[in-house]
Amino acid sequence: MKKKIALLLCITMTAMGIIGCGNSEESLATKGGSASKQSVVTIWHDGDDSIMQVIENGVNEALESDGILVKFEKKSGLTDQMKLYGNDEANGPDMYLYAHDSLGTFVEMGILAPLTDVIEESDYSDMLPMTIQAGNYKNTQYLLPVYFETLLFLYNKDLWEGEVPSTTEELFSYMESHTDTASGQYALVNQHSTAYNVAPFINGFGGYIINEQSVPGLNDEKTLEAIEYNKKFAALEADGDYNTVNTLFNEGKAAAIIGGPWLIAGIKEAKINYGIKSLSDFTLPNQNALSPYSGVQAIGIMKYAVENKKEALGKVLKEIANPQIGIELALNSGCAPANQISYDYTEVAKDEMIVAMRRTADTAKPMPNVPEMSVMWGPIESLLAAVNKSGQDTKEAASEYQKQAETAIQDMK
Amino acid sequence: MKLKKVRCGILLMVLNLFFILLCLLVLIPIGYAFFLSISSGNSTFQNTLWVKQVTLQNYKAILLEEPFLIWLKNSTILSVGTMGIAMGTSVSAAYAFSRFRFRGREQILKLLLVLNAFPQILSMFAIFRLFKNIHLINSYIGLILIYAGSMCIFGIWNMKGYFDTIPVEIEESAAIDGASPSQVIRKIILPLARPAIIVTAVMVLIFVWNEYLFATTFLMKADSYSLAGGLYQLQSNDYSRNWPIFSAASILTSIPILILFFCIQKYMVSGLTAGGVKG
Amino acid sequence: MKKKNGTLPWRFSLPSMVLITMIIIFPIAFTLYISFTNMNLYHWDDYRFIGMNNYIRALTKIDSGFLSAIVTTIIWTVLNMVLQIVISFFIALGLNIKGLKLGRLYKTLLMFPWAMPAYISILLWRVGMYNTEYGLLNKFITAIGLPKVEFLSENIPAFFSCMVLNLWMALPFLIMMMDGALQSVDHSYYESAKLDGAGWWARNIYITIPCIWPIIAPAIIMTTFTTFKQFDIIYLLTMQKGSLTGATLNTVITYAYQNAFVSNNYGLSSAVSIVIFGFIIFFSLFINRGIKGENI
Repeated sequence: MKKKIALLLCITMTAMGIIGCGNSEESLATKGGSASKQSVVTIWHDGDDSIMQVIENGVNEALESDGILVKFEKKSGLTDQMKLYGNDEANGPDMYLYAHDSLGTFVEMGILAPLTDVIEESDYSDMLPMTIQAGNYKNTQYLLPVYFETLLFLYNKDLWEGEVPSTTEELFSYMESHTDTASGQYALVNQHSTAYNVAPFINGFGGYIINEQSVPGLNDEKTLEAIEYNKKFAALEADGDYNTVNTLFNEGKAAAIIGGPWLIAGIKEAKINYGIKSLSDFTLPNQNALSPYSGVQAIGIMKYAVENKKEALGKVLKEIANPQIGIELALNSGCAPANQISYDYTEVAKDEMIVAMRRTADTAKPMPNVPEMSVMWGPIESLLAAVNKSGQDTKEAASEYQKQAETAIQDMK
Repeated sequence: MKLKKVRCGILLMVLNLFFILLCLLVLIPIGYAFFLSISSGNSTFQNTLWVKQVTLQNYKAILLEEPFLIWLKNSTILSVGTMGIAMGTSVSAAYAFSRFRFRGREQILKLLLVLNAFPQILSMFAIFRLFKNIHLINSYIGLILIYAGSMCIFGIWNMKGYFDTIPVEIEESAAIDGASPSQVIRKIILPLARPAIIVTAVMVLIFVWNEYLFATTFLMKADSYSLAGGLYQLQSNDYSRNWPIFSAASILTSIPILILFFCIQKYMVSGLTAGGVKG
Repeated sequence: MKKKNGTLPWRFSLPSMVLITMIIIFPIAFTLYISFTNMNLYHWDDYRFIGMNNYIRALTKIDSGFLSAIVTTIIWTVLNMVLQIVISFFIALGLNIKGLKLGRLYKTLLMFPWAMPAYISILLWRVGMYNTEYGLLNKFITAIGLPKVEFLSENIPAFFSCMVLNLWMALPFLIMMMDGALQSVDHSYYESAKLDGAGWWARNIYITIPCIWPIIAPAIIMTTFTTFKQFDIIYLLTMQKGSLTGATLNTVITYAYQNAFVSNNYGLSSAVSIVIFGFIIFFSLFINRGIKGENI
């Protein structure tokens, strides 16, 4: 017994020693090597590996002769990781690719460098205005947009009867006559208590979750109206959980779904004969179009990286801004590129979904990128859940969660 | 006598039935994951309890396309390393707290308990700062120290309770024979307290095996993740989760623990009852 | 045994104390330090001392919401612990009955929930069990002709749903501990008790429980704290961003998280942590009474 334990300890210790040393040597080796031969640009992301692969391949091919190698690394919970590693040159990334709504947080932390430190304004002049706006915080451009995501109306052509209506009122009456919750047949499903998925209504009604002055608007007259309006849809949209609504649509139990481009792969796999309609093509009773949020996947540069790798970063960013990368993203991964020129390419122009996304880009609102937005998700979603799921009075709940949001914003300072 | 045998038989039958039902009940969620993992397609939900097309595709995908085996190796290193350090330090401490009466003993024991109640998630930031300064980020040793430190209090408390029940007379006679305190621990306490030590060691092992937050924060490269960390990284949000592969991976992750558990059970009988020493 | 061996006990416990100081005590001290500064998003690197300011703000958070969170936490802890102890005791007793040939197999199977990483189990339950549309529980309920139940949308059902999941996840540990403890009970006690004519209940109450108590008491105390600070289950089951279920169930820890930690204000949230820590110390004074009888 004693020998066994001693042996085990010995083995453990040696194993740890070897691995520990091995690790540090390895990291030293790559660092030494990179200085002399090629410079490695590390980009953190929290998205789909296959999308990043497309960008990585494209850039590395173009910059091979310059001795620059781009490496994408996936980091779950990227915001938290950036808080720990954002000013840590030894372990942190050189750049990051992430949705733009965390921009304000990172800028206030003082870890990002403006885009113009590395490239010229003219290098990104072809980008869609909405995507540029998304990467702008306090009148400084920090993010280079790569592609964007927004919500679409996806429907099953074999189940939907007649034309897809163009007003939300007609849509609602279709839902009323074609939904049977007891047997689990739905006309339209939506994540009705997720802020991102209700935003088309809130924005369309002229309400807001938080405005540019960082004032929350949960009990704003118009926001309330929108939430009330969404509530009557919610009653006919199953329980609104992502997995549920997604599966309902893929199994042909829901004729339509409001969802993002990330659903397409699963829908194709389920062999659904699907059609796409832009949310901009639905008018609300107030004659406004539904106006979803857009999430722009964009690249930001770490401050410390600019000091040492300025030139390499510039080259990488210029290459990523190249319309060719946009075209490849559109064709291979079904992403809507930020570069307008990419849409002129015939193959891209033929893609129904990409075109619908491009159309939505005109009415879509970029998610707010003020740091205060990060504390708004909790209150707004609690409000939606309280109204849609627990049957709380809208007005009452709204003032309760407005107060919660205000406290949360105060707590930040 | 005969009647008693019959009664015993009936009792055992009822007991067996009870445990079979209990196991089935407990295993429902896992069975669900298993059915998902052997079904084709990318559905989150299993509609029928039988699978139309049984496929091992998902297991193949997780084993071949993801660095599953590397993660398995990393998890093994981390858990065995942690077990070594945590047990090494806490067995002797537990012995000291159980056998010696020294000043501050009781206070320290209570203090440890309270310290253990501090939510660990709150410590992460501080540990991060500390480890950054002493360059222990991105190394297994750093992570093993974190895990060992986190489980140390548990180890001390858990084993101390058991050590208390071992009669001191045995040790005293050994001490008379000239054994040093560390010899006493190795030759007497370890074998006698085997169930407690094994239970504690397994607990430490499982803690490390299932921990993902520190693993993904303190280890930087995908190749150095542990199983739970890699799995978390691979499928962290609803939108990118492939359920069948995820289920397959989670089942594969738990199997080593179960095998281990099955194997150690015969060692869990105390040397105390086996040896027939009475207190 | 009363040994006075000078520095020996300290030498024995030194390695573990160093480890604990580094991993447990240092972070608490650091949290205390941060709680007196204004470290937040806007003062990420250039933070400075602001005295008791954060504590004044932290104390304003002790409102009706916090008080009801305390009540919930206490009910949660007590209910879970009582059920866990009782259930695991009887299961362990059953597993130790002589002649149960498949005992090892049952034991292994019962450990399965423990062998899965917690977040996987929780996801599995949320999606596979409690889901309104597709969850197995609702499948079963509708199959016997009852209407669908929304397990997580209101507080009381959500509380019990969380509790069932917690039991599922936590029982294996206590079963294992009880089982280990039962193995150590000297069988000769039972023989003599049987001769004295003690029945099954009497044997358990007068022999088994007193014999295993000193061994499992630490485990029970540890589990109590774990249950008390349980965060994952309630958070991931009912209030994860993007999949809120409508229940507004809060324990002290989830309440603090929602009210202080999402704000990225490290100064304030550290102060809140320290306040909660103070609360835990207070809470443990009660447990202390429990330990006294056991004479550590």
